[in-house]
Amino acid sequence: MEPLLEIRDLKAEVDGREILTGVNLTVNPGEVHAIMGPNGSGKSTLAQVLAGREDYAVTGGSVRYCGRDLLGLEPEERARIGIFLGFQYPVEIPGVNNVYLLKAALNAKREAEGKPPVDAFEFLKLAREKVAMLDMDQSLLNRGVNEGFSGGEKKRNEILQMAMLEPKLAILDETDSGLDIDALKSVANGVNALRSPERAIVLVTHYQRLLGYSEPDYVHVLHGGRILRSGDKNLALELEEKGYDWVREAATA
Amino acid sequence: MKRTAIDTGLLEEVVGGLPRDAFTASREAALARFRERGFPTTREEDWKYTNLAPVVEVSNRWLRQAAAGELPPPALSPAGRERAEAVMRGIDAHWIVIGNGIVERDSLAPLAGLPGVAAAASPAAPEPALAGSALPAGDALSLFNTALLREALAIRLAPGTVLEKPLGLLVVDDAPHGQSLSLPRITVEAGANARASVVEVHVSAGAHEQFANALVDVVVAAGGALRWLRLQQRALGHYQVGRLRVRLARDASFEHAGIDLGGGLVRNDVAVEIGEPGAAVSLHGLYLAGGRQHVDNHTRVDHLVGPARSTEEYRGILTDRARGVFNGKAVVHPGADGTDARQANHNLLLSAEAEVDTKPELEIYADEVKCSHGATVGQLDENALFYLRTRGLSHHEAVQALTLAFARVVVSHCPVAEACAHLERAVEARLEELAVAVPAERVPDGSATAGARP
Repeated sequence: MEPLLEIRDLKAEVDGREILTGVNLTVNPGEVHAIMGPNGSGKSTLAQVLAGREDYAVTGGSVRYCGRDLLGLEPEERARIGIFLGFQYPVEIPGVNNVYLLKAALNAKREAEGKPPVDAFEFLKLAREKVAMLDMDQSLLNRGVNEGFSGGEKKRNEILQMAMLEPKLAILDETDSGLDIDALKSVANGVNALRSPERAIVLVTHYQRLLGYSEPDYVHVLHGGRILRSGDKNLALELEEKGYDWVREAATA
Repeated sequence: MKRTAIDTGLLEEVVGGLPRDAFTASREAALARFRERGFPTTREEDWKYTNLAPVVEVSNRWLRQAAAGELPPPALSPAGRERAEAVMRGIDAHWIVIGNGIVERDSLAPLAGLPGVAAAASPAAPEPALAGSALPAGDALSLFNTALLREALAIRLAPGTVLEKPLGLLVVDDAPHGQSLSLPRITVEAGANARASVVEVHVSAGAHEQFANALVDVVVAAGGALRWLRLQQRALGHYQVGRLRVRLARDASFEHAGIDLGGGLVRNDVAVEIGEPGAAVSLHGLYLAGGRQHVDNHTRVDHLVGPARSTEEYRGILTDRARGVFNGKAVVHPGADGTDARQANHNLLLSAEAEVDTKPELEIYADEVKCSHGATVGQLDENALFYLRTRGLSHHEAVQALTLAFARVVVSHCPVAEACAHLERAVEARLEELAVAVPAERVPDGSATAGARP
């Protein structure tokens, strides 16, 4: 089976400072990976580099997605072939309607797949269903993108977009941070609903919290810009108990 | 520096050659005053950023043609006619067509059937609609307009008249034979408690250079309400200056939006006088400019008495080497207590070479007032652009979505319901043109100045 995502010795820097120092990671269809690590370990950088953020300069290594070179693609091209980044800090865009964005995003993907634009009625029906699944207020659909949304509403909105776009590879950057228990459960529901043998999910997180609801197949610890240790879900529990210093000490020992 | 001034000798010759009519005395008086001052130069504070040299050249060329008797009748060409008809198809209104500065009588006739409406285009002495007001008068461009005045359009709404459908003022210039100067002169008076909407559209066609110098005077009597949209979509090589003067009586209201999508050199002066209590005025403006377009908006609201309210918001989106100028002044005169005056100007620069000079000003001589003003100049939000692109929108689509969101704040205040759809389409089409020119790489800080006097 061809891996969905294959990261080899990836190095990236911002403003001349090296953040990723050689990341290796392989994600196969159907898998859920958790990438954990302390603040400043490079978790968000990895997520942003995969989505195509131009602020980061890739200085070495390679990323292949479904067998093709990912790093040469524009952010929108990556989105259209099935990569979704759930933002740690979803951007407020007053004046750009939430429904408009959902529809434009879905149609951009459909166009790339050679499909006709989505039927307006079917689209709205689907959007309302997903909104209900995520316990969101229906009125949020007609607001500006994330405009005046609470922290929890913003994160639910990310999951809503993911649910509509049905990506092959979803990378969720700290989607669980700052959520109360209800919002956390909604987000976990959204993530679990997406799990399927064709798709993969990468959960970037600081804490073990979300992993209790969306159980990962693999857990990796990122530190100093590379993965220091990998294991199964028990690694997350061990981290919770012993802290990140334990991994660092074990690695340098 | 090249000396550019109107050739007053030629002007005198042309004015002297016009047939004697009821305007003769006004023309000669205006000519005498114009000779003393000529067109403003950038040495004058009000014209610091707007150089009229190209306008002067067009005017002189026109005067030479006129003096030589080479100006044929100003009938519209098929291209100009089609441009006008496209507008009339887009907006349902009682359209009056002003082609190359002359009111088309056929378009005026149907208004006679509307109860409470009187509309006439005539070489009759202009009514002193604004006599006794403190509104600015006698500026050089108005004098130039008056010195060459052939006819004026006057529309009056009798007290209590309520118009269902908007009045349309369609100014279309196409200079079919190189006749390049258009001088529309319009007066609209709304009687007590009259209510109406006006949509004023400026378009142009043709390859010849053009200069339009429009003067519009508005009076709203006690309790009257006028809603007014001005949409300017001239060809990019054509020049326009316009002055709108508005006088509001007790409890009168005036809602105005001025949208500039075209024109190479554009200058709008809006002056509103609140002379009696209870009046309300809102001014919205939008300017979208690319290439080497230059759009200058000067507004002034005089609160002579209170309580009264003025709100103002102008927004601009500029790319390439376009330049925007905003100068908004609210003056709260002594004793105008209860005044509520708000003013804002926001600008989005899409290229490093685009420039805007903005100066909102407040002068307050009364005590009990609520006033605010502010100006911003910024670039597109890189985080928002990236966010939209990670959702599959192209850079171009993302730029369009963000610029449209910025412009929509003004478009959503479209005062004339019948024109909203047309306006939105026109704004979207212009933004699409501008977004094409926006480079995908990051825009460095543009040059901008923002000044505000406390």
